[in-house]
Amino acid sequence: MRLIIKDLCHRYDDLVVLEGIDLTVREGEVLAVIGPSGCGKSTLLGIAGGIVAPTSGTIETAGAVPDGCLNPVTFIFQDFALLPWRSVEDNLALVLEHHPLPAAERRERIEAGLRRMGLWDFRKALPKQLSGGMRQRVGIARALAVRPAMLLLDEPLSALDAQTRELLMEDFLALWQRERTTALYVTHNLDEALRLADRVVVLSRRPGRLREIVTIEEPRDQRLQPSAQAHLAEVRDRLWHLIRAEAQLADREIANA
Amino acid sequence: MTVVRWGRRTVLGVMGAAALALSAAPAFAQSLEKTSIGVLALASSGPIFIAKSKGYFEKEGLDVDLKMFTSAQQVPVAVASGDVDFGVTGLTAGFYNLAAKGAVTMIAAQSRDEPGFELSAYVAANTAFAAGLKKPADLKGKRIAITTVGSTFHYMLGLLGQKYGFTVKDLTMVPLQDVPKMTAAFKGGQVDAIVAPVTVARQMVADGAGTIIGWVGDETPWQLGALFTGPKTIAQRRPTVEKFIRAYQTALAEYHAAFNTKDASGAIVKGPGYDSLLAIIAEATKQKPEVVAAGLPYVDPQGKLLIDDVVNQVKFWQAEGQVDKALDAKSIMDLSFVK
Amino acid sequence: MPDTSLPVTPAQPVRFRGGGFTVRTHRWAALLAFAVLIAVWESTNRFGLVSPLFLPPPSAVAKALGAMVADGSLWQHLKASLMRIGVGWAMGTVCGMAVGFAMGIGSVARAVGVPLVSAFFPIPKIALLPLFILWFGIGEPSKFATIGFGVFFPTVIATYSAIDSVPRNLIRMAQSFGLPWASILRKIVLPGALPGILAGFRITASIALILVVAAEMIGAEYGIGAFVLTAGNLMLTDQLLAGVLVLSLLGLAIGTVLSILERRLLKWR
Repeated sequence: MRLIIKDLCHRYDDLVVLEGIDLTVREGEVLAVIGPSGCGKSTLLGIAGGIVAPTSGTIETAGAVPDGCLNPVTFIFQDFALLPWRSVEDNLALVLEHHPLPAAERRERIEAGLRRMGLWDFRKALPKQLSGGMRQRVGIARALAVRPAMLLLDEPLSALDAQTRELLMEDFLALWQRERTTALYVTHNLDEALRLADRVVVLSRRPGRLREIVTIEEPRDQRLQPSAQAHLAEVRDRLWHLIRAEAQLADREIANA
Repeated sequence: MTVVRWGRRTVLGVMGAAALALSAAPAFAQSLEKTSIGVLALASSGPIFIAKSKGYFEKEGLDVDLKMFTSAQQVPVAVASGDVDFGVTGLTAGFYNLAAKGAVTMIAAQSRDEPGFELSAYVAANTAFAAGLKKPADLKGKRIAITTVGSTFHYMLGLLGQKYGFTVKDLTMVPLQDVPKMTAAFKGGQVDAIVAPVTVARQMVADGAGTIIGWVGDETPWQLGALFTGPKTIAQRRPTVEKFIRAYQTALAEYHAAFNTKDASGAIVKGPGYDSLLAIIAEATKQKPEVVAAGLPYVDPQGKLLIDDVVNQVKFWQAEGQVDKALDAKSIMDLSFVK
Repeated sequence: MPDTSLPVTPAQPVRFRGGGFTVRTHRWAALLAFAVLIAVWESTNRFGLVSPLFLPPPSAVAKALGAMVADGSLWQHLKASLMRIGVGWAMGTVCGMAVGFAMGIGSVARAVGVPLVSAFFPIPKIALLPLFILWFGIGEPSKFATIGFGVFFPTVIATYSAIDSVPRNLIRMAQSFGLPWASILRKIVLPGALPGILAGFRITASIALILVVAAEMIGAEYGIGAFVLTAGNLMLTDQLLAGVLVLSLLGLAIGTVLSILERRLLKWR
């Protein structure tokens, strides 16, 4: 599935958050969006997923969806957004309950999702009993249960510690190895973008404009190889150069919540 | 008479001897003995207001502080706790329970329900009246609003029953705690009748909510209220109590002459000092004189208690299970002050 | 290389300076405090420091309570009061939750409701008793109304602020998975608001207990409130305190039931 964003603008009252965004997420690619905090990355994702209404512009999807897809455009959240009163398996059931599925298929989808994320033994546990990494795995399993055509990932690893982040990145790599689900991946972490993305979009800050799209040539599964490091370092420098000044500005801004 | 009084006080008063020695001036010009009484702002406390206003307490050498209370129940409690020395209010089961514990003793009468005097009324609601509730004897079997269990109204119904051969078990008493709720239940058609003070009863009639079918004074005269004090006060300050009662009796006699005089036909006529005494009571109760005039109760001119009725009251509450069976009515009255 | 001119000091143990400022549980302290309190109270009477009229000793209160148990009147009073509390509380709670939900979800309902609730909440319900008598009579309905009315407003406030506290991200998650409006309400908003609503129950249960005394001012023959009122009117202070004791034990019992309910329903917290 492709996602086509045309001439998107968004403002909160007088504050222009996003301006003139034209962007296409190609079939099967992982497109990372980076930019300093406050650049409207999350808003962009919310608009793409239809849970934030844009001020102007259009968002369209095109292309095929997988068999049994119940929710073509599906989110994975930074804070996991699990229902604390539901067990792991019931959190997966939540997103299936309102679809007319045979009970057996529902069970099968839940089990498949849980087993793939290594959560089967924890299916009865409550979210509070799980580590952050396990909770995000529940979030991923929940997304997989609806067989999405496109994943919208909103800083999915930001709430996790470094080691867990590494493990989860491996999970994502395995996912895209198998499924090739189109993904829009919002992050402020350059290393995540460099490990996971096919292309990286850099947004400027306030108003959020599309500054540049950087393509990472190296195949995803080769990026830990020594031979890949020179290219990755080059891309990294380029990305850092693009966002450094604005990250600094963002850092100095007095929080005005 | 006056000479005797001066002399007696001079002997008994601590300051008296000194006062006599120093000058011939009356003692009240020197130093008045402080005392206090708890009253309700009702016409039934009228004699107290008169004694205070016309200086009868001061003539006896007393500086009496009038403490106003809002419910009859608070007054004997205030006497029991020592907040006031005397109290004057209606007699309830609560009063007898305090008396049974040795907290208060009756020393003189307050007002009473007396034939010809409109103090407490039986009021029938319109529907009940239409259905045949025309006289007090018909109250048997009816739903009647009262303030509280153990109140004077409770006893009035008991007395009525004693007269007509039924008991309070034969009627449904609905305790509603206060007059606004009684009025609401009565006007809302929730009860057949109420027993109410004259002012409330007249208001009900004026509002077209009911009909007065009789007066408690005509049916069952009884001792509604009493003047009382703590046994400790009697034991330790007997002269004070005597002085107090003398002043009270002076006012009682004046009140009785002004408000309780009947002519040959039995109609109540204005006695001497009617208007000035009415003005005193109106001011003390913060009521219009015409309102006060409509509900001036009968008092005994000497403040004599209806002893038989007090005995009957105690027996009634004991039979109702609301006052300790061991209480002897005679033990809570000290009749040595009013002879 | 270390500077040799520095004086050589011997090793010193690090002194512990944490300590204190932590709360430990003392299981028997509360019970002991109660026992001491009761003993002191009893002895003030035994040694004649306080007249039993002003503060009846615990033994007199226990005797009064025992008499109530023995003649069966305790159960009669309890039954009447529990029925009133139960029905009145349930009515106030159901209506309050319905209005609270409407105010929590609908912006129009909130715009209308908040000032109304603010205006009506502080009205002393006891002042309205004569009106309740006119509206609902002197039977059980006016007693239910008194308690229900008192319970209603705090429930409204508890419910809509509980709904406000449901994390918005969970609702957006549900929307992003295409859950219908009714499902979001039932599966996200209601359970998410439950802790706040249950906390509200604690308050409204106490209010119901307080108001049962007021409600039983309206022509009640039986009921703990009516019993307490009558004891007060008759100046039977030992019975008065026995009734108050029953009320506070009732409060304790209701609180315990709510704690169990919270533990059951909010295991996930």
